[in-house]
Amino acid sequence: MELIRIKVNHRWSELGIGKDLQPDTTLAYLLRQRFGLTGLKVACDEGACGACTVLVDGKAILSCMTLAIEMDGHEVLTIEGLPADDHVIRAFAEQSEPGYGTAIQCGFCTPGFVMSAHGLLIENPHPTLQEVKEGLAGNLCRCGCYPAIAQAVLKAADEMAEPRREVL
Amino acid sequence: MKQGFSQRDRSRKFIGKYQHKIDGPVKASGKAKYLDDIVLKSQHPGLLYAKVLRSPHPHARIKSLDTRKAEALPGVHVVLSYKDPEIAAMKPTQAGWTPFNTTSYDRMLWSNTLDRRVLSDTVRWVGDEAGVVVAAESPEIVEEALRLLEIEWEILPFVLEPVDSMKPGAPLIHPEINPTGNIQPPSPDMNSHTFIDVGDAETALAEADAVVEVNTEYNNSDQGCLGTRGCLMQWEGDKLTVWTSYYQADQTRMHITQMLNMPMHKVRVINPYIGGSFGRGNLGEQPFFIFTAVLAKRAGKPVLYQYTRREDFHDTRNRVLYNCRLGAMKDGNITAIYLNSIGDSGAYSDDTLGATDFVVREWAEANLGHIPNKKCETRAVYTNKIPGGIKRGIGNNQVNLAFGIALDELAEKLGMDPVELAIKNICFEHRPIPDRSLVAVLNEGARHIGWEKRLKPGLGSAKRGTRKRGFGFSLNNSWHAAWQELPRGHIQVSMRVNPDCTVILDAPTAETGTGSNTCNVLACAESLSFLGIKLEDIEWIAHTDTERGLKDQVQTDSAISYVQAEVMGKAAGMIKAQVQQRGAQKFNVKPEDIEVQDGRVFVKSTEEEISVKDLLWGGNLVPLLASVNETLPEENTGLPYVATFAEVEVDEELGLLDIVKLVVVHDCGTVIFPPGAEGQQVGGQAMAIGETMMEEIIYDRRTGVPMNFNWIDYKIPTILDVPEVEPVLLEVWKGAGEYGACGIGESVTTCAPAAVANAFYNATGVRLMSIPFTPDKVLKALETARNPSISKAAR
Repeated sequence: MELIRIKVNHRWSELGIGKDLQPDTTLAYLLRQRFGLTGLKVACDEGACGACTVLVDGKAILSCMTLAIEMDGHEVLTIEGLPADDHVIRAFAEQSEPGYGTAIQCGFCTPGFVMSAHGLLIENPHPTLQEVKEGLAGNLCRCGCYPAIAQAVLKAADEMAEPRREVL
Repeated sequence: MKQGFSQRDRSRKFIGKYQHKIDGPVKASGKAKYLDDIVLKSQHPGLLYAKVLRSPHPHARIKSLDTRKAEALPGVHVVLSYKDPEIAAMKPTQAGWTPFNTTSYDRMLWSNTLDRRVLSDTVRWVGDEAGVVVAAESPEIVEEALRLLEIEWEILPFVLEPVDSMKPGAPLIHPEINPTGNIQPPSPDMNSHTFIDVGDAETALAEADAVVEVNTEYNNSDQGCLGTRGCLMQWEGDKLTVWTSYYQADQTRMHITQMLNMPMHKVRVINPYIGGSFGRGNLGEQPFFIFTAVLAKRAGKPVLYQYTRREDFHDTRNRVLYNCRLGAMKDGNITAIYLNSIGDSGAYSDDTLGATDFVVREWAEANLGHIPNKKCETRAVYTNKIPGGIKRGIGNNQVNLAFGIALDELAEKLGMDPVELAIKNICFEHRPIPDRSLVAVLNEGARHIGWEKRLKPGLGSAKRGTRKRGFGFSLNNSWHAAWQELPRGHIQVSMRVNPDCTVILDAPTAETGTGSNTCNVLACAESLSFLGIKLEDIEWIAHTDTERGLKDQVQTDSAISYVQAEVMGKAAGMIKAQVQQRGAQKFNVKPEDIEVQDGRVFVKSTEEEISVKDLLWGGNLVPLLASVNETLPEENTGLPYVATFAEVEVDEELGLLDIVKLVVVHDCGTVIFPPGAEGQQVGGQAMAIGETMMEEIIYDRRTGVPMNFNWIDYKIPTILDVPEVEPVLLEVWKGAGEYGACGIGESVTTCAPAAVANAFYNATGVRLMSIPFTPDKVLKALETARNPSISKAAR
């Protein structure tokens, strides 16, 4: 049986093709069903909403549009792999600055936004408001928390202004 | 940093303060469990997946059905169809038994339109849940089994437009409801399509100095919750457990027990976190609950029935066409209003008359009660399209588009400022004109948008090149003060104070994201502030469960925050009495000699004291317990107002309409959780922008096939589509009770479409009357205005 190796949240796993995953298994399905990592959500399953966003080698990708076998030798980080005191998570959780609302309502899209924000901040640690908007334009929030989400990401970027620790 | 709202009663310790959302950490870290996260195969050994056959035709009947090949497919456990005797014997039903209170089959709201079967041989829209459902070991096997069904269809003629559907000779969509046409019977309590007829509207319109007439079209849009619909069902013996993303556990239990003739204690319904609601689960009575229960029973295994994104296009906001006429005298007094609407129900009646009759009846009686001549009529009409169900602010948005534009047009005709015209004519019933709440809302909105920059229509303030700017607004009342929620009956809440002085708060309601959970905790902390507790000392139970002992409050009517907050004071009073009793035992005095303040228990006369914590910890370690079962204040306090003001920029060459800024103003009575309220206001504008600018289900007119049941072709606003939104919260009106708050979750979406339409008119002098205002419609409207003859010929 052909094996692939994937590093998921800092730990390598060996998976058998045909046994642990099929050639057409998506990364989203593998992470949720096999690894039980349910933070990422599959809300559209066709790359339209960003709820399934995870980091692969430090880049934000849509796990519903990625085949699991393509991940051989790669490092996958889901929201469960972020540290407990993650600054982006905290900024989303705590946004209550007047005039913007909360950054979360139903919360279904939130893990995807958090991971997209991490991807953005790795590429661009000091984004402008417009850059934040462009960086998060692939994520849908039906509750419409967008202005508060942008505030949270700007705040997280500010907090990182000191030498930034590695995310991965 | 922006300033935030200014609180009326500053003595409050918790209520009305800017602070974090209680479920922020669990949601931001991805730990909150939604239906999707508790239905993994590994969590439910033997789990089966169910799927229903979807109609490929807009209107057809199954002539013959052979399921043998599907049944023979390895991995298939049950194939159930309309022919099954148990299914065939089930009562006809309706997907809108109730708007919010628990309702049995025989007391359902729309008892005269029982137009759904659990599984039916007849299909009425492309995507309709047809007469066969399969449970198998994987979604792939289910799909394969559905492909193996041998079906002979009798293709029936179809009709998409309600104006065509109303004509004689149109294909009959529900002959069992109406054997002669597609117009549904009127509301059971009305028995007439005319639901308001006061004075003589026709004569008054003829005699008015100024008359306007508008014809608006509010298109349908999907609720588009990120979490899709679904349920997982499991039997143990004669007991059924249901996990669902539909947010009314108690009513789901009622629905299932009534349809399956089961006793209520044998059905347990659980709501985990829910990925958005926006009215979606309001039509809780869905056939899928019933056939999934039967599948799970037959299979003897847990069965998951969950919609894909594409299938989740299941019901929408009702499309409504309005004809609105207003008449006024030269002095600006409105003397007549006429409204006539056609509610495009789609394939099933669901709650169409809720949108076009009930809501409008209440709205007109409440806001226009003093206008002497009024006539309102509506017809709900079947078509072969996706059913119109409920979406946030049912019915209000549609009538607001018509009335908001008509008011703007009337103001121009009278040479008045539309703000002035509104204040002169609109007030909540039993209140004097000018209405304090309305005046405050409109003045604040005008101030924040910069209304003084608004020029006369068509002049396009701040003109630059081919781009013109304009301003507009629309107003509405908010809904659902406590007195309107009386049909909920008793509101049940319990508080347990542990021996360490922490609190378990049981205020059951599904957590759909509205922020009512944080409001619950704030109100609990406020009412128990004599214990000297902090917010983090309170644990709110996040899931609803019909076996937990208290009835859930359904997340509808924007009402939960204050409905539950209002009764907490009673529970807190009971807790206080228990502390006094324990204090009396401790100090050997009477309970009335004991005072409890800021966490201290002391004897009034001697000032002997002990902390609450030490008192409880020194006792028998049994928690203090208060369960309340209270109805809401009956006093009719009217309702407050809401408005959206818009600034837009129009590129007349390219047909581009850009929203520059929205100001949304709410008079809430009491703001309980400001970031939550502002989040509703801001998020509501995002949803309203979607409806105003881009969201619409598009059909292939030749085949009746909906073309955009996915999130690539059906556009939902992204972060780049939402302009600057300024939320403004006011506390002018006050309802009955401790807080006298009024919910805003629905009214946040009501006014933006008309506000944008009026701003576009102000910029260009051209009317847009059909949302969404897509570039093709904008260009066409501008072209028609420039050269009416060309456009007429082209049509």
